[in-house]
Amino acid sequence: MSGNGYLLEVKDLRKWFEVRRGIFSKPLWLKAVDGVSFELRPGEAVSLVGESGSGKTTLGKTILLLHEPTDGKIIFKGEDVTHLKDKKKLMWYRRETGLVQQDPFGAMPSFMTIYRILEEPLIIHKVGDKKEREEIIYKALEEVRLTPVEDFAPKYPHMLSGGQLQRVAIARALILRPSLVVADEPVSMLDASVRVEILNLMREMQESRNITFIYITHDLSTTRYFSEWIFIMYAGHIVERGPTQRVIRNPLHPYTKALLAAIPDPDPENRKRFRDVPPGEPPSLIAPPPGCRFAPRCPVAMDKCKKEEPPEVEVEHNHFVKCWLYV
Amino acid sequence: MSEVGMEYSLKGVMRELLSYKSGVASLLILIFLIGLSIYTVTTIPPQKAIAMWRGENNMWIENPRNAAPEWIEYFVHKHLPRTIKVDSREKSFGIVKAKTPIPETNITQIHIEMSFTYDYDDFPSEVNIFFHAKYNASENAPLVRLYWVKPDGTKIPIKEFNMRDPNQILYLSVDQSIYAGITSWLMKEKHIKAAKTVTTQQILFGKLTPSLSQGKVEVEKGTYKLVVDATTYNKGDDVDLKLVVYGTVYGIAGTDHLRRPLIIALLWGTPVALAFGLTASLAISIIQLFIATISGWYAGIVDSIIQRITEIYMIIPFLPFLIMMAAFYKLDIWTILAVVIVLSIFGAGIKSTRALVMQIKEYPYVEAAKAYGASDARIITFYIIPKILPPLVPGLIGSVPGFVFLEAALSLLGLGDPYLPTWGKMINDAYNNGALYKGYYYWILEPSFMLILTALAFAMLGFALDKIVNPRLREM
Ligand SMILES: Nc1ncnc2c1ncn2[C@@H]1O[C@H](COP(=O)(O)OP(=O)(O)OP(=O)(O)O)[C@@H](O)[C@H]1O
Ligand code: SF4
Ligand SMILES: [Mg+2]
Repeated sequence: MSGNGYLLEVKDLRKWFEVRRGIFSKPLWLKAVDGVSFELRPGEAVSLVGESGSGKTTLGKTILLLHEPTDGKIIFKGEDVTHLKDKKKLMWYRRETGLVQQDPFGAMPSFMTIYRILEEPLIIHKVGDKKEREEIIYKALEEVRLTPVEDFAPKYPHMLSGGQLQRVAIARALILRPSLVVADEPVSMLDASVRVEILNLMREMQESRNITFIYITHDLSTTRYFSEWIFIMYAGHIVERGPTQRVIRNPLHPYTKALLAAIPDPDPENRKRFRDVPPGEPPSLIAPPPGCRFAPRCPVAMDKCKKEEPPEVEVEHNHFVKCWLYV
Repeated sequence: MSEVGMEYSLKGVMRELLSYKSGVASLLILIFLIGLSIYTVTTIPPQKAIAMWRGENNMWIENPRNAAPEWIEYFVHKHLPRTIKVDSREKSFGIVKAKTPIPETNITQIHIEMSFTYDYDDFPSEVNIFFHAKYNASENAPLVRLYWVKPDGTKIPIKEFNMRDPNQILYLSVDQSIYAGITSWLMKEKHIKAAKTVTTQQILFGKLTPSLSQGKVEVEKGTYKLVVDATTYNKGDDVDLKLVVYGTVYGIAGTDHLRRPLIIALLWGTPVALAFGLTASLAISIIQLFIATISGWYAGIVDSIIQRITEIYMIIPFLPFLIMMAAFYKLDIWTILAVVIVLSIFGAGIKSTRALVMQIKEYPYVEAAKAYGASDARIITFYIIPKILPPLVPGLIGSVPGFVFLEAALSLLGLGDPYLPTWGKMINDAYNNGALYKGYYYWILEPSFMLILTALAFAMLGFALDKIVNPRLREM
């Protein structure tokens, strides 16, 4: 661990995708993540919230080095891992991090048994011998409550339900005992009936193993009890971040306010509609507005907002906002 | 591309395969062909097959030439002659041998009678006598007189001569002096002038009626006898002989122009065809699969290079190139196989497989594998290839006949393996010897049948598998 006690430090991280309209046209840059900074301590959970296309998945994958970062820095346990060329270091980072994806069916190699799926990370990282691996796998299945484990181990993914498969995915992500896990909308494709169970399971394991958890979601209502931090993303920026309770009780950024205004209804079915509410379209990520990216939709936009990008300011302790209103 | 996600277990595929008639038929044929191959390779090892096909030590001399298979009888409704062999050294019914020494001399009179029954509806193709005499070459050679006794007792003198060689062979059916002798006997004794077209065999085995002069003659069935009177001039000399009356049919496959049993080539052609076809299609498919996967996975410069090579390969004229190679360097079959593989690995299949890889590489499970540290090599072999292999299997099986025919075609052009007997070589021999022109249809039909049977089996299996793997075809 580095001296400052952070597990993960992200500094001005950018991920730009090269897009070409034709073979001869000049390449354009799609700025999916464009200057994101934050820190997380061991065992902290954060919900990453934002509209579709705001760059949540891209940010998560870039942190896991599944995308090559365009610019900025990722510091993990005090090591700069932004561009890991050393294979040994990269394998260490892979072992220290885990990923849970949205679509549990797509996330599983359909031709492998559940046992083999869980064994793969262990084989790759040369964990134990065959006997020890079996113990680890059975224990992992037990932890995600796929019991009796002997029944589940030899099955193929298509024999399991979505919820069961997502448990396998969680077991796989945690089997190497990582200290950082990114879960990208892990319940959005599951039946409403199993969502809470899966979230509870993740929360439980996150707490008992002291895992730093980045939980990407559309569903603002679940963040309340899932994580102590919340980051609000808009068009490649984190526009507001802070302790969950404080941000939800006292949203500062006009975008967050719009988001939260959209969920006064206790009925969870209606809460999900929050993302439709702020009127207008998110801006183009290829040619974003020069000033604040929310300006075209912001009800309280000022002249300045359209010319200059707002800096991130710490309005109260640990509560940051990227808005000219608070400068 | 929805099939990509489908699951296949060997058991399930088998069960489904057996629900199609074509699947069952193809499996039965394949089991037969594989069984035949195993039988062939274990009973006739390759060295032996090559020796047999070369006809070492005149080993086929007692076989008829260009004999049809025996089952041809069912089509012509005649009892066709088999080969009859009678050996004076064997003590058996119908063979009498008596030695009478002339007192106070070294001379011995040897009398041999060999009888056999001839009840076929056609004349033999050839008659030869193989002598096995014992005498001192520097002294007087035995004097031999041969008579042919017909069922009705008519005795035809065949030849009287002093032996020139202890293992002398009399080719009765082509010996001009014998022919002259028996035709003049026919004139003198029966007053029949045989037409020019009448053969020695016809006089020996036919009814000696006046119609001989018109060239018409019928087989006379019954017991024939070859009578030998020999005089030896030294103690210990002896004369023995073997009469071979060659049939016109032989075994289940017949013989070729060199008297070789065609069954050898039919049998040996099976493992060769299977090995050639399967190896070629398997090796090409797997190598293509790897190249395509690497191309699709790494993209960028590697991809461009592979794609350009593929395009160049696609315009190289494959067959002329192969023929040129085979013609220049008398290649054996395994070298030909290697050349075929090398010439095909950058085939058009790479393009479609690569497109599939490009798609699968974006699948979440591949991303998950990357996230837990799977190397590129591991992802390619354990994550991508198992996914794209099942849909490729029907094509792989379906492409086997092409390679089987390719080998046959090369052999047909005289560019096949110089030693091993194969189906293609059989057809090539048949063609070179005017089989169709002379009516030896079996010589061409047999290997063709095997080729078609093999092709059909693989084609049907490929098609049935295709229906299973690509359910869209199921309605067809
Ligand atoms: N590999 C890529 N190449 C080019 N553009 C990409 C790529 N991945 C994502 N993008 C673009 O980056 C932007 C952000 O995408 P991202 O998937 O990160 O959004 P998200 O917040 O996860 O959205 P959602 O809620 O729909 O999952 C989008 O405009 C998307 O089209
Ligand atoms: S910076 Fe201006 S436009 Fe942007 S959110 Fe704040 S007030 Fe609105
Ligand atoms: Mg996403």
